[in-house]
Amino acid sequence: MTPHDDRRPNDPLDLEALPGQRRPLDDDDDGVGEPRKPDTKGRGRDESDKLDQYLLRRYHLYGDRKAREQLITMYLPLVRSLARRYASRGEHFDDLVQVGAIGLIKAIDRFDLERGVELTTYATPNIVGEIKRYFRDKGWSVRVPRGLQELNIRLNKVIDELVPKLQRSPTIQELAEAASATPEEVLEALETSQAYNSVSLQASPNGEGGEEDAGLIDYLGSDEEAYDTMEDRTTLAPGFAKLDKRERYILHLRFFEGLTQSQIAERVGISQMHVSRLIRRSLEKLREEIGDVDNPDPSLLARRGE
Amino acid sequence: MSETIRVEVAAELSAFTPVRLVLGGLGTRLEFSVEQLEDLYLATEHLFRAVLRAEELARFGVEMRLDDGALWFSAGPFTSRELREEIEPAAPDGACLDLCRLLRTTCDEVQVAESDGAYRVVLVKGRRSPA
Repeated sequence: MTPHDDRRPNDPLDLEALPGQRRPLDDDDDGVGEPRKPDTKGRGRDESDKLDQYLLRRYHLYGDRKAREQLITMYLPLVRSLARRYASRGEHFDDLVQVGAIGLIKAIDRFDLERGVELTTYATPNIVGEIKRYFRDKGWSVRVPRGLQELNIRLNKVIDELVPKLQRSPTIQELAEAASATPEEVLEALETSQAYNSVSLQASPNGEGGEEDAGLIDYLGSDEEAYDTMEDRTTLAPGFAKLDKRERYILHLRFFEGLTQSQIAERVGISQMHVSRLIRRSLEKLREEIGDVDNPDPSLLARRGE
Repeated sequence: MSETIRVEVAAELSAFTPVRLVLGGLGTRLEFSVEQLEDLYLATEHLFRAVLRAEELARFGVEMRLDDGALWFSAGPFTSRELREEIEPAAPDGACLDLCRLLRTTCDEVQVAESDGAYRVVLVKGRRSPA
């Protein structure tokens, strides 16, 4: 249902009663100063507030999911602006944006029309709170000395810097030099990444599991269409149904197309280390689903005629 | 340059940790990239898991060798038919992300070498392999 579908004469929620449709916002905020509010593109605050209120009413009173999606899209620049403040703390910016988007969606879903506050005012602490919670929850599953944790975080940044510079994955020696560490320390620090928990970004925005609730990946990322172009044979591979689109796509590229992690990173638009983590996590999921990657289930054996 | 390290490991997953460390050290000497090392870790870990599932062994041997710009990893001796079929299936399933596909994607060579009525699994990863 679009905002116009059930429009009636003198409908107080008629979009055309507003001064105009707000244009999409750009994302060139440098993260300096106050976070960008979604009303800076040739439109006054009053008009923006009216559009917010209109969309919030469409969603809360009429259950209009498109209005909700439009609000999410409109406020993503605010999420990105806030996420950028925390991007220097060792976590990937894209991850922080996705986590911040959870806060935004919660704010939209919980917004009380009667309270008379702007959505920006209500959403900002929700977004920041979600990002802070992410840092707090994202702990180490086993005790890892702080020095190694810090080196691990530093290495993630160094790898991100070296891959585009070298046009290939760096060697341990190159990492050691760039991070002012010994090769042994680098190896040890990279080992610790095994002990690092990663928060699933595929969770439903509202934390529930209904099929109608799209995962964040359905809202974010620029390459979603490519996820659907996998050959059917990959999609039908045992256990793959339990993986989300992006995980399936990455495993397909790695194990069926033969792309390297760096090549996948470039294609998907995330870092090589992130690709590495996603591959490891996806294989773990497959192991849980079909018993073991190395231990195919009986149906798989039957397909092979064994 | 040729150098060989032989270890005998307990048939349990925790025994893979020191193997990883040795692989990391040898890979560093070959100037492997981070990705190449991760490929090697992934391949050997999944082989390790398959061995634990298929074989009823208390311990088995692992040999790691640097030779001609490549790292040779060999494990065995094994006798399990199931393990062998997972590594070199008679009829590969094109849609399956199985051990066979995983090893062949992450390593340059995968061999099953006969050895006194048993066999060893040999994985080769070269310095010049992709990534």
